[in-house]
Amino acid sequence: MWKSWKFWLVMSGVVTVVGVLAYGFTVNPKFVKSPLLNGPAPNFTITRLGGGETLTLSELKGTPVLLNFWASWCLACRDEAHVLQAAHKLYEEGQGRLRVLGIAIQDTPEKSMAFARAFGKTYFLALDNVAGDISLSYGLYGVPETFFIDAQGIIRFKHVGAVTPQLVRNNLATLLAPNDEGKQ
Amino acid sequence: MINNIGYVFLAAALAVSLYGVVVPHLGVVRNNWNLVRSAQFATILNLLLVLGASAVLMRGFLMDDFSIRFVWQNSSTDLPLGYKIAAFWGGMDGSLLFWELVLAGFAAVVAYSYQRSNREIIPYVIVVLNIIQVFLLFLLTTYSNPLGLQAPIPLEGRGLNPLLQHPSMAAHPPLLYLGYIGFSVPFAFAIASLIRGKLDNAWVVTTRRWTLFAWYSLIVGQMLGGQWAYEELGWGGYWGWDPVENAALMPWLTGTAFLHSIMLQEKRNMMKVWNVALIIITFSLSILGTFIVRSGVLNSVHAFARSEIGPAFLIFIALVMVASFYLMFLRIKLLESRHTAERLLSKESTFLLNNLFLVGIAFTVFLGTVFPLIAEAVRGTKLSIQAPFFNTIIGPLGVALLALLGLCTLIAWRHSNARALLRNLRLPLGVAVAAAALMALLGLRHPGALLVFSIAAFTSTVLVSDYLRSVLARARQQRQSLLSAAGDTIMRNQQRFGGLVIHLGVVFLFVGLTGNLLNSERILTLTLNQPVRVEHYTLLFKGMKEEQVRNARLRAAEIEVYRDGEFLETLRPARSFYPTQPDPLTEVAIRRTLAEDLYLVLASENAGGTVTIRARINPLVIWAWFAFPLFSVGVVAALLYRPRRLEAPETPKGLGYA
Repeated sequence: MWKSWKFWLVMSGVVTVVGVLAYGFTVNPKFVKSPLLNGPAPNFTITRLGGGETLTLSELKGTPVLLNFWASWCLACRDEAHVLQAAHKLYEEGQGRLRVLGIAIQDTPEKSMAFARAFGKTYFLALDNVAGDISLSYGLYGVPETFFIDAQGIIRFKHVGAVTPQLVRNNLATLLAPNDEGKQ
Repeated sequence: MINNIGYVFLAAALAVSLYGVVVPHLGVVRNNWNLVRSAQFATILNLLLVLGASAVLMRGFLMDDFSIRFVWQNSSTDLPLGYKIAAFWGGMDGSLLFWELVLAGFAAVVAYSYQRSNREIIPYVIVVLNIIQVFLLFLLTTYSNPLGLQAPIPLEGRGLNPLLQHPSMAAHPPLLYLGYIGFSVPFAFAIASLIRGKLDNAWVVTTRRWTLFAWYSLIVGQMLGGQWAYEELGWGGYWGWDPVENAALMPWLTGTAFLHSIMLQEKRNMMKVWNVALIIITFSLSILGTFIVRSGVLNSVHAFARSEIGPAFLIFIALVMVASFYLMFLRIKLLESRHTAERLLSKESTFLLNNLFLVGIAFTVFLGTVFPLIAEAVRGTKLSIQAPFFNTIIGPLGVALLALLGLCTLIAWRHSNARALLRNLRLPLGVAVAAAALMALLGLRHPGALLVFSIAAFTSTVLVSDYLRSVLARARQQRQSLLSAAGDTIMRNQQRFGGLVIHLGVVFLFVGLTGNLLNSERILTLTLNQPVRVEHYTLLFKGMKEEQVRNARLRAAEIEVYRDGEFLETLRPARSFYPTQPDPLTEVAIRRTLAEDLYLVLASENAGGTVTIRARINPLVIWAWFAFPLFSVGVVAALLYRPRRLEAPETPKGLGYA
């Protein structure tokens, strides 16, 4: 038995599995820290879903940005869709003080557009490329994930999971505050 | 006072289980059957003690005795009686006690049922079942005591999570536990056979019914869990590839593989190493399931608190796997069989393929479930594996398995004639093509759905025509009427008939699951008395209604549903407010037909008297549910079948007695 490679293969498999699970005790899966926080938001250029309009993040300097990553297959994205749309209606269309951007990941144009129609999303929506370059540069953990970027292009806050009206209101209050550096 | 007695019962049961671990071995070594008999009796004593402790906890729930911390955490005085009983397994401590209670019952049944038929190995079966019980009772008397007391005594309990107040949820956990525990019986027989070096087919044949029972409990438990998620959580689906769901799926997949591969051992004396390995893996996965659910090491939408018992569970899993595989390799010479599949085109090799797929799917699910941990351990990056990974990889594997199911039914044992196979393929292939063409004509455009439906047509044609062919052959040979031949075909080979019905259930399950490719969803704002169209339905909002339902206050939107101008029914999607919960819960309203579910969720009530609802159309959901009666009939038929015992010439002398 001790000379059987199968024996050692199976045993090392067992040890690996147990080791990985034991490692799980040392980390908290709910806690996702981001080195991007309080640093400059990685730049990207996106094309509007269903239209030719393109947008580059760096050109939005001077306006705070609410950047949301989503997908048509994502369940929590359904819960937060109306919250983001409300922020777009109030602050972007109503007051012109904010840009709301939504980038779909691991998705197809048809499905994400169907989702946007179903949930009445009218703000600037785009699709990340197949390689997921934008989501990689933002160190995405999953969807939905939302970044609050101030007028200087610095990420001030990020949230993993569906956003609530309360959360959006509170964080935008800081981002849009008149005495904020961003409004100078 | 009485609660302290309950704890004493648990401690005594731990002592009795320890006795049951040591004494049967002594009985075998000293060749003293009286010692074994005393351990048999100890399983009864153990059951009575655990039953006593469970009765004490149940009394706590029924009498609202909030001096028991677990009762206070999971119940409240206004909870309906049925849910007070279900609250027993509504939290971790109680569900572990429930686990131990059922296992103690199984151990007692096993210890007495098989004392003659499996006299040689039964002492070690008792040992193995007691080892598991020692582990559970250790947890129950230390980290996870369901009878822990508190003072001062609160006047009111915290209440059972309202989400769990649903009939499916009352039955879902115990069924999963029955499945997990059920697998411990074949596992115990396998380990006992390894210890004794008695590796004929006895353990496989003896425990076949236990395996079937465990398999059935697990799948029904999972279906009820899906049903609960669908009706109670309101996101519109029933399966989300969450780690906790995957945890229950994995042992079921390997258990399904095991159910098939033991047929090879029973009929052809093949796959003996593989079967031992599969039951070890299946049993380990069922403990791993509880570990994943309760340890909090993986990110899950299920809001289970991170508990203290994780490390203890992991150590137990490690011990189980290392010791079991060690034993397996110790006896591997005895297990290696001389038979292999004779021909490529034989039922034997299709079973191998089936096992390869099932275990491959289980492995993929496992990898996807623990990959976030691996990535973080190796590269230090946080990531999560979400539904697209599982759907892209497991979807095609599952569909291939469905096709294989039909194909395998056509292939005979030992060797199959390629020409006969091609001839038998003509009808089902024709039906499959016709079905696809018909559905395309009717307007179905989704290529994936077309493929699955046509494979489903293929496989069900194979299954039904296979049965009809046997009936016709029998009627001709025995000169019987068709009706009595139909009955006899079932009664003569219940195992085959059971398999056929279960496989038909699998086809229905796949058809229902495929409906997920075709669903649609819209968010609507409804104004009083203004009709809104959703595909072929028209919704008319008639106002809000408030009522008291049991312990909750319900605010429902009354929505009349019309189709082609004809009134169908009034749906009432609602939000319910529980006194013990800060936020309201959504109560979904569903109109279910054979073709589709109209699924309404009340998202919000707005200023100005409008309401926002999410309207989903989920095609074919009920088809997945048709699998349930088919699985039930099939399992009962398969349970009736009693395999003949194969005497094994392979047990060598000398090794049997340690």
